[in-house]
Amino acid sequence: MYRYDEFDAAFVAGRTAQFADQVKRRLSGELTEDQFRPLRLMNGLYLQLHAYMLRVAVPYGTLSSRQMRKLAHIARVYDRGYGHFTTRQNIQYNWPKLKDIPVILDELASVEMHAIQTSGNCIRNVTTDQFAGAAADEIIDPRPVAEILRQWSSLHPEFSYLPRKFKIAITGAPHDRAAIRFHDIGLQAAVNGAGEIGWEVWVGGGLGRTPMIAKLINSFVPNEHLLAYLESIMRVYNRYGRRDNKYKARIKILVHEEGLETIKGQVEAEFAEVRGGVLTLPSEEVDRISAYFALPDFAAQTLTKIDVAYESIVDPAYGRWLDNNINAHAQPGYASVTVSLKPVGGAPGDATDKQMEVVADLAEKYSYDELRVTHEQNLVLPHVALADLRAVYDALVAADLAEGNNNLITDMICCPGLDFCALANARSIPIAQEISRKFAEPARQKEIGELKIKISGCINACGHHHVGHIGILGVEKKGGELYQITLGGDATEHASVGKIIGPGFEAENVPGAIEKLVDFYIAQRQGADETFIQAYRRLGEAPFKEALYGTA
Amino acid sequence: MSKEILTGNELTSGATVYLSAGGTWVEGLHLARLFAKEEAAERDGALAATKATGRVISLEIEEVDVVDGAIVPKRLRERIRAAGPTAPLTLHGQAYDRQHLGEDGHVSI
Amino acid sequence: MGLPKLAPAQAAHDKLKALGILALNGMFDEMDALGVLRYAVSDVLPGDLAIVSSFGADSAVLLHMVAQVDASMPVYFLETGKHFAETLAYVETLKKQFGLLNVHAIHPDANDVKRFDPNGDLWETDPDSCCHIRKTEPLEPITEQYGGWVTGRKRYQTKERGVLPHFELTSDDRIKVNPLAYFSDADVVEYRQKHSLPEHPLYAKGYKSIGCAPCTSIVAEGEDPRAGRWRGLNKKECGIHYDFSGAIANPMTAAARHTLWKDGAFIADPFKEWAEGTNPSEARYVHVPLPEFLANRSEFLANPHPLGLLVSPGEKIEDVVDDLARFASIAIKFPAFSDGRGYSTARLLVERFKYAGEIRAVGDVLQDQIPHMRRCGFNALVVTHEPSRQALIENRLPEMALFYQPVGVTEVPLGTRPFLRRVS
Repeated sequence: MYRYDEFDAAFVAGRTAQFADQVKRRLSGELTEDQFRPLRLMNGLYLQLHAYMLRVAVPYGTLSSRQMRKLAHIARVYDRGYGHFTTRQNIQYNWPKLKDIPVILDELASVEMHAIQTSGNCIRNVTTDQFAGAAADEIIDPRPVAEILRQWSSLHPEFSYLPRKFKIAITGAPHDRAAIRFHDIGLQAAVNGAGEIGWEVWVGGGLGRTPMIAKLINSFVPNEHLLAYLESIMRVYNRYGRRDNKYKARIKILVHEEGLETIKGQVEAEFAEVRGGVLTLPSEEVDRISAYFALPDFAAQTLTKIDVAYESIVDPAYGRWLDNNINAHAQPGYASVTVSLKPVGGAPGDATDKQMEVVADLAEKYSYDELRVTHEQNLVLPHVALADLRAVYDALVAADLAEGNNNLITDMICCPGLDFCALANARSIPIAQEISRKFAEPARQKEIGELKIKISGCINACGHHHVGHIGILGVEKKGGELYQITLGGDATEHASVGKIIGPGFEAENVPGAIEKLVDFYIAQRQGADETFIQAYRRLGEAPFKEALYGTA
Repeated sequence: MSKEILTGNELTSGATVYLSAGGTWVEGLHLARLFAKEEAAERDGALAATKATGRVISLEIEEVDVVDGAIVPKRLRERIRAAGPTAPLTLHGQAYDRQHLGEDGHVSI
Repeated sequence: MGLPKLAPAQAAHDKLKALGILALNGMFDEMDALGVLRYAVSDVLPGDLAIVSSFGADSAVLLHMVAQVDASMPVYFLETGKHFAETLAYVETLKKQFGLLNVHAIHPDANDVKRFDPNGDLWETDPDSCCHIRKTEPLEPITEQYGGWVTGRKRYQTKERGVLPHFELTSDDRIKVNPLAYFSDADVVEYRQKHSLPEHPLYAKGYKSIGCAPCTSIVAEGEDPRAGRWRGLNKKECGIHYDFSGAIANPMTAAARHTLWKDGAFIADPFKEWAEGTNPSEARYVHVPLPEFLANRSEFLANPHPLGLLVSPGEKIEDVVDDLARFASIAIKFPAFSDGRGYSTARLLVERFKYAGEIRAVGDVLQDQIPHMRRCGFNALVVTHEPSRQALIENRLPEMALFYQPVGVTEVPLGTRPFLRRVS
């Protein structure tokens, strides 16, 4: 993992002191709320319905046990004993008080963490594949580049007041687990004809009220020119992105309205000016940063295969967990474990301070002190020996963290919704809870197989509903809540945006509607191997619509 | 009969507060001062005075009904703000309380 | 208003002096310069009065009067070492022709020059300090020797000098005598012609206000005569002038009036607001809006006066890249602090187009954005937001000293690795 040196520590300390001063000036009345708002937002502090909300960055979703314990400590001391892990691989606290924020930031700084640029119209926390550096299918570990991007984008003076927020996702694997095609910039590792590793650059993706799939603006940018290329995109966006309408201010609208070729021309012209300049990334620097992310010195394992079928007979719950929550590791004898934050009836992504402590202990003991946060709101122990899986599982069971539902129907993405969020139009968490209760039966979940439900409480789509195989969007209608259902979304390399299938449903009718769709899929599928999304693509929208609404 | 109330969040705690009949900002929705439609001038005056102090932020005018003597906001959002989140955290089904103000319990303007 | 009320405990002679000064200002006809001078020499400060002369374009008139009243009055000339050769020759001419008996040159301290201006180019980087070591410092010990001074200042000369009496009491209890206070440019010319006074050799060449050679340029017809001094340097007064109440101009009190922050102080802004409909060939000391400039480019380029450029968000600095050298100052507009387009404009100007002049931020300029602005190349700010002004004056901006990305031309790499890191 990356470790702060004196410079990083001084930088974060400087920023923390700066914000402490700004809080002081706000409390004294010197700063008005209008002046303070963008400053607090750039330090991750929102005002929500009931209280402030602090969003802490988990850079590219990587944590040590020490950091996770600090997150637990903050939850316990300054909040209400829990935190909410988000689709941006961050953690949010829902109840902090303004006067405590400087202290919380100091606490975070003591474990090399911060809340810098987790909000505001700047470059946000860079996100990546939760299995980065561990996945068997990976071309390159994207985290060294993600760390370099974190540094380059931190308090960038030119790009701190962009037209709108800006999100970058990066993945080193061909299978996209980071939804890079739905980010302002998506980076995917690529190999050119000479066998060199560089980056495919995708631009203009996003969700929100105008979902768009990113377009490929450059199929190979060498590592050494990546920063120069990104700075070129940022400059074009900063200068020409729309500022007259906040709903049209994201780069996706610029790319859409001007056309990819025009934007590409502007970016390439800018790149021609800055290429080879001060932003050229020396390979020694990449090597130096990469050294921080060197794989652990894995102990040799004699156990290199788990007999899941056998384990399922002995202990079905453990079998399900092995079946769903284990991801293939590049190192023989190891696996990456997904720790589900989606218990039946729970709030997706929430973890108590005690649960955080348990996961931290497990990371320290079984995962070379490493943890990941996934954009699907789960946690990951990236490097667990197969021989330790049972011990890890047992500890997770004791902490209510052993739901074997990864990628199944109850593994939903869900935003905080109207229970917490000042922007929401409808509640999300109660919908997720009811759906998970309806499909709680493990055999039923297994029968349905991979199915991603994503729920947002408003058009801003923090719950990624556009890219759910089944998406649920809460809207306000006549003072009440109504839920629209979309089908066919996909956040991976087979990116697609879901389509609204018909009139919306009252909250109490949503689980029943999902059940109709699921039953129809099971009846129609060509075999257990054909997933929901595959069946939808084969059959098209009409039969699903008919199944849901009837023929009349 | 539809009335209006003034609501916002207190600066230091972020807690939901309402302008009371006594001119202070308090936690209890039931203490909120009701403005009739023709009291728009007083309402706007109170709003401007509060804004000038900077101690209550995210100020809003909310429409409410008075049902059996109780103040009921028309918007679901406001009912949730008044009561706290409806969704429980965990398997244990415990709902959250609202955020509360600091020691003195009200915000004077 | 007027002179400050004096406390009763104050020494009697001081009081008399103060009241006397007040009365003196009513004694003379506005244009009776000789009468003022004669009375000062004979009655107010006999034997205790001297004059500092620049021997500039309009020095002859006052020196001619001095010679008539008292040819032995000490006349000090600040020999800064930076004068035009023509000026030095002119000193000799006037001395001889008027019969001045007591002309002294004051030289800067050689050690100061060696220490602060070893290459002789301090005027270029820090004109205030240059004036300080060459004028203010050397003059100070001389000033202390006299009870009063004769000056050639005139009301009309600059806007800051609209009010000027014949006699002033300075804060250190000295008297300043301004015989020419009410003289206009025409009066000076008339006096000079009437008495056939020798003209400064540079006057005919367009120099109307002459100081040290490096900081003086030609003033255009109709332009403020002192506009040629410190042109483009946002500096109007050298340290030896006094304000109306007699106090030496103090940058901290000046800060209360000025909104232009540059080189660590709020200073007078030579630039005025652009007015709609300004004739392109007559514009001077304004920031011309970029579209306006493009629409009348040839007229503006033919205009000999100092001009700035105003770049608003959405306007492309690339469109004027060939004409950047024409502008003494480029103002970049921030209509709201949240509109960050100006940062890109500034970086392009400094880093890509190598513009080395003044780049000022105008509009919604607040302390929390100023550090970003500086990093992007802004070297001047127009600030009206009071807390931000205080933060600047008290040097407590919410600033970071460490940076993660190379930006601008002044930040230096922190070691060779990691390569992104910079310090200010």
